Amino acid sequence: MKKQIFAVLSSAAIISSLLAGCGGNSSQSGASSSASSSASASSEGSKQIKEFTAFFDRQGSELNQDNEIQQIIAEKIGAKCKETWLTGQTAEEAVGMYIASGEYPDFMNWTPQLQEAGALVAIDEYLDKYPNIKNFWSESQWNSLRQADGHIYSIPQFGKINIKAMDTQQNGEAFWIQTRVLKWANYPKVESLDQLFDLLEKYYAANPTMPDGSSVIPFEILAYDWYYFCLENPPQFLDGYPNNGRCIVDPKTYLVSDYNITPTAKRYFKKLNEEYKKGIIDPEFMTMNHDQFLEKIASGRVLCMVEQHWDFATAEDSIKSQKLEGCTYVPLGITIEPGMKEMYYVSGESATLSGGLSITKSCKDVEGALKFVNDLLDPEIVTLRSWGVEGKDYLVDENGLFYRTDEMRENAVNADYKASHLCSYSYFPNYGGMNPDGKNAATPDTQPSEFFNGLRPEVQECLTAYGAKTYVEMLDNNVIDGKDQPWYPMWSFVGTMTSETPGGLAWTKMEETKKQYLPQVVVANDFEKEWSTYLEAYKKCKPEDFFAEVQEAVYNRIKLVWGKDVRPKS
Amino acid sequence: MSSAESVSIKKRKKFKLSDFLYSLVIGIILTIFVIVTIYPLLNTLAVSFNDAMDALRGGIYLWPRKWTLQNYITVLRKESMVTGLYISVLRTVVGTVLQLSVTALIAFVISRKNFVFAKPIALLYTLTMYVNGGLIPSFLLNKALGFTNSFWVYIIPGLVSAFNMLVIRTYMNGLPDSLEESAMIDGAGYFTVFVKIYVPLCKPVFATIALFIAVGQWNSWFDTMLYNRMASNLTTLQYELMKLLSSVSQLSGDPNKSASAVTSAQVTTTSVRAAATILTCLPIVALYPFLQRYFVTGLTIGGVKE
Amino acid sequence: MEAKKTKKQSINIASGAITWKAIKKQKELVLLSIPFVAYVLLFCYVPLLGWIMAFQNYKPGLGFLHSKFIGLDKFKFLFVDNPDFLRVIRNTLAMGVINLVLSFAFAIAFALILNEVVHKAPKKFVQTVSYLPHFLSMIIVCGILQDVLSIDHGIVNEILVKLHVLKEPINFLTYKSLFWWIVGFTNVWKETGWNSIIYIAAITAINPDLYDSAAIDGAGRFRKMWHITLPGIKPTIFILLLINIGNVLNAGFEIQYLLTNGMVQSVSQTIDIYVLKFGISQCDYSLGTAAGIFKSVVSIILIFLANSAAKAAGEERLF
Repeated sequence: MKKQIFAVLSSAAIISSLLAGCGGNSSQSGASSSASSSASASSEGSKQIKEFTAFFDRQGSELNQDNEIQQIIAEKIGAKCKETWLTGQTAEEAVGMYIASGEYPDFMNWTPQLQEAGALVAIDEYLDKYPNIKNFWSESQWNSLRQADGHIYSIPQFGKINIKAMDTQQNGEAFWIQTRVLKWANYPKVESLDQLFDLLEKYYAANPTMPDGSSVIPFEILAYDWYYFCLENPPQFLDGYPNNGRCIVDPKTYLVSDYNITPTAKRYFKKLNEEYKKGIIDPEFMTMNHDQFLEKIASGRVLCMVEQHWDFATAEDSIKSQKLEGCTYVPLGITIEPGMKEMYYVSGESATLSGGLSITKSCKDVEGALKFVNDLLDPEIVTLRSWGVEGKDYLVDENGLFYRTDEMRENAVNADYKASHLCSYSYFPNYGGMNPDGKNAATPDTQPSEFFNGLRPEVQECLTAYGAKTYVEMLDNNVIDGKDQPWYPMWSFVGTMTSETPGGLAWTKMEETKKQYLPQVVVANDFEKEWSTYLEAYKKCKPEDFFAEVQEAVYNRIKLVWGKDVRPKS
Repeated sequence: MSSAESVSIKKRKKFKLSDFLYSLVIGIILTIFVIVTIYPLLNTLAVSFNDAMDALRGGIYLWPRKWTLQNYITVLRKESMVTGLYISVLRTVVGTVLQLSVTALIAFVISRKNFVFAKPIALLYTLTMYVNGGLIPSFLLNKALGFTNSFWVYIIPGLVSAFNMLVIRTYMNGLPDSLEESAMIDGAGYFTVFVKIYVPLCKPVFATIALFIAVGQWNSWFDTMLYNRMASNLTTLQYELMKLLSSVSQLSGDPNKSASAVTSAQVTTTSVRAAATILTCLPIVALYPFLQRYFVTGLTIGGVKE
Repeated sequence: MEAKKTKKQSINIASGAITWKAIKKQKELVLLSIPFVAYVLLFCYVPLLGWIMAFQNYKPGLGFLHSKFIGLDKFKFLFVDNPDFLRVIRNTLAMGVINLVLSFAFAIAFALILNEVVHKAPKKFVQTVSYLPHFLSMIIVCGILQDVLSIDHGIVNEILVKLHVLKEPINFLTYKSLFWWIVGFTNVWKETGWNSIIYIAAITAINPDLYDSAAIDGAGRFRKMWHITLPGIKPTIFILLLINIGNVLNAGFEIQYLLTNGMVQSVSQTIDIYVLKFGISQCDYSLGTAAGIFKSVVSIILIFLANSAAKAAGEERLF
C-alpha cells in the first residue's frame, strides 16, 4: 500500500515539475503571442516579416504553419496573417466573446455588433495612401459603406467584378435536372413548373429504378435546418424575380412585397402537394438531414431538385468519380408559366455594399495592416492567391492563357495540398471576373478553356443541344447594375436585423412558422385546409413589421445612391 | 456473448433448472444489448476506412465498401495534431490527478457526519450544479485571473465538480464509521485517516471518478477555443479536430453568404469525421479495461478486515 | 442506520448545532474546508453577478456597468408575449422526465444484470462495449439513428414490415407522438453503459458476507439481487436521482436540434433551442440569462422538495 502511495506521489511530483516547465513556457509564449497579434516582427532570415492575426466568423480551414504560398507571399510583401475560423460556436457567440473581452485579432469580419461596440478602426482617412484598396471599389460604393458617424470601417471582400463577369457555373439557385432525363426526352424545352413535373412523371414511369435496382427519386426537397430555403424561396424565382433573398422588390415602384403569400406561392405548394401524393417527391424529404440529402444526390437516384449549386457540388463530384452516366445536373430556369423572363442567374456589382474586412482597435499597426491588404491586391500576389505558383499549379500557353493539367486540377481540390501549399486569403478582398492581367479569369474554375475541358461528354452534348457552352448559358443572362437597382440584394440587409426591432423579431418568427408548416402543407391530405392554417399562423408573426423595415431599407439605399427620396408623399 | 454458457459452467453443487434459465435470460438480454450498442461503433469504424467520395453515397453498415487509409492520413497529417496530442495527454493526466485528489478530500471532509459545516458546504456545492452565470461572466473572471493563454485554465476552473464530489461522499458514507473512530482513538488526525484509511478503501469509486474526469478532460475543447485559441503550443487534440470538422457547419448559416465564400469551404466528409472520432476514442477507451480491475466486489470490505 | 447514528452521537458532541465549542473541536476540518469554500465562491458564485444581464439590455461592448436596465422585460418577453414559450417548457419537462426515468431504469437494470455474470472475461467485454457509444458525438449517433429509422430501407422499418407489425414503411420522425420517446431511447442507447459505471462501482462496496448468509438461507440468485444488491446501491441511486431531478429542465439541445423537422417542431423545441433562436443568434445575451435564471429557480425548488422528501423518508440526501 505504502509503495503505491509513494508511486502516486512521486509521479505527481514528476508531473508538477514538468508542468513548471510547461507553465513557464506557456506564459512566455502567451506574452509573445499577444505581442505578435499586433505585428511583432519575427526575424525570417534578414527580412522582417510582420505577422497579423485574423478571425472570421465563418467556417473555414486553417492553413499549415509552413504553408508554401503563404511563405512566398510573406517574403514578397513582408507580412503574413494567421487566420482562424469559427469553431463549434455560432458566429454571434464568437464575436460576442471577443467584444466582452475587449481584445480582438487584427482583422475581423465586420458585424453590426463590432461596430456598435466601437471595436473597429475607421479606415476612410487612410484610403488615399493605398491605391489598390481605394480603386477596388468606386467612390459611390465606398460612400454606401459610411456608418452613422460618416466614417468607413470595412472593405467588402466579395462581389468585385473585374472587367467582366466570367461565370461558367451557376453557383446559385435553379431547378437542377439530370442530363439523362433531358436526353431521354430528346432535349425538350422545359420552361414551366407543369412542364417540368410532367417530364419527371413520364421519365419516372419509364425508368423507375437505377441499374443497381435501387429506386429513383424523381424530385427532392431539402428542408433541413437553415437549408430549408430550397423549400421556401422558389416562389420568387417562379414569378421571374431575382434572389433578393427575403422579399420581392418591384423595380418600378420600389415597393417590397411578400413572395410567401402570392398566388404563385400557393400554386407552387399545391403542385408540390399533388406531386407528393403521386409519389414523385421523396417521402422523407422533411426528415432527412443534410448528410442524408448529399447521400441521395451522390447515389445518382435524384432526378431533379431546387438547390444552390455550391451546396451539392461535393455530391456531384462523387457522382463523377463513380462515373454514373447522365447523373450530373444542368440548371433550368423554371417559371410558373411558360415563356416568362426568369432571373435565376444575375451578375453585376451591387451599388450598395455592406460588411467586409475590418481592422480592430487591438491592431497596433493599422497602416501596416492596410499595406498588407493593399499588397494582397497586387497583380502578382492576386495570381498567387487564386491560381497558385506557375509551373506547379498552372501552366501558361503561348497566348498567355493559364491552363492546368489533370494532376493540377486534382491537387487544387485536395484538402492536404490546400492546407500545405495553397493560400487564398479568401476573406481578404478578392477579384471576381477577370485576373488583373485582363487575359485570364480570376479563378481557375471560371477560365473558359479550363471549364470546357473539365466537362463530361454527356454534359457537353446536353449543353450543345440547348445552344449553351456553359451552365450559365442554360439560363437567362441578367445583369443588375447596382446603379439601376441600388437595393439589390436585400438579403444583405436582412442579415443584419436582430430581434431587437419588431421587424427582426417578426422575421425570426416567420422563419420558425415556415419551417414548421411548409412541410405539412406539402404532405397534407387536405391542401386547402392546411394552407389556410399556415396562412393564419403566418399572419400571427406580424410579417408587416418585417416588410415595413425592409421597405424603409430599400428607400434608404435608393437615397444613398441616387441622392433622392423616392418615398411616396403621404 | 457466451456469458450464458459461461455462467452455467460455474461450479454449482447441484444443477438447478431455475438457475440455468436465469442465466439464459441474462445471457440473451446482454447479447441483444451488445449487438445494439456495438453497432454504431462498428458502423463508424467501417465508414472511417471507406473512401470518402464513395461513403457519400451512404449504405455502409459493418464493412467498408472501398477500403482506404486516406481519411486517417487526412486527420493525422495536420502538423498541429502532435502538439495537440501532447497537451491533451498532459491535461488528462494532470487534471485527473489533481481534480481527483481535491474532490476526494472535500468529499471526505463533508462526509464527517458530525462536522458542523458539512451541510452548508454540501449545499454550497450542490447548488453549483443548477446555477451558472453564463458564458460571458465566467470568461471575464478567468481572463481577469490570468487564465488566458495558459495551461492552467484546463485545470483550475473545473477543479471540483459537485457531482463527482457527491458520488464520492455517498460512497464514503457507506463505509463503516468505526474505521474513523478507531483510528482517531489511536491519535491519528483527519488527514491521516483520509490518506491511510479512506483512500485505499475508496478505490472503486476513485476509479469511477477518475474515469469521469479523464474522459471529460480528454474530450473538452471549448475551453481551448475560448482561452487558448491563439497560443498554438497549448491547443488540444480535440480542439484541432473540432477545427477540422467544423469546416462544415451544423449551427447556422446564410445561403447567400456561403455562396460567396464557396471557394474557401473545405469539405469534411462523414468519413473524415468518422476517422477523427475513432482516433480520439481509442486512447480513452483503452483506459477503461485498466480501471475495471478496481471494480471487484469484496475488495473494500475485505481490505478492512485485514 | 439507526444504530450507527446513536453510536456516533455518544462519542462526539451533538451534530448539527454550529457552536464555537464545536468549531474549536473540529479545527482541523474547518481549516481543511476553508480553501474549498473560497474556491467555490470564487469560481461558481462570483460569475453569478452576471445574472444582472437578465435585467439589462446587455451589450458586450458596454459591459455590465454601462448597459441599460430594462427591468423584467426579458421575462415578460418569455412568459407573457410568447404563448409558445409555455409549450416549449412543456416539451422540455416531458423530455426531461422521460429521459430521467428511462436512463435510471436502464442503467440500474444493466448494472444489476451485468453483476449476475460470474465469469470475468464476458463481463468485461460486455461492459466495455456498453460504454462505447458514449464516445460518439451526437451528430454521429443521430446520423446513424436516421439511417436506421429511414423509410427508405431503414432496418427498423424492414424488420417491422417483415414481422407484419407495419403494413408499409413509415417515417417515424414525423410522428409527434413518437418524438419524445425516440429522444429518450436514443439517450438510453448512447448512455446506458456509461451511466451504469457508478452503480457497478457502488456494488463493489457491498459486503460479500451478506450474499453468503443469504445463500445459507437458501436464497436464489434473483432474490439475492433483489434483496441485497439493489438495497446495497440504494444510497447511490438516491443521490443520483436527487441530482437529476434538479436537471429535468436540461433536457438537452443537440439531440432535439439534430432530429427535429417541421412536422414535429411543436413537440421538439426545448428551452435551450428556443433561447438559441431568439436570444444568442440575435446577439441577445439577456434573454438567455433570463431563461437560465428561470431554469435555476425551478431546479433549486425541485431539489429542495426532493431533498426534504428524502429526509422524511430517511434516505440518502444531498445536504
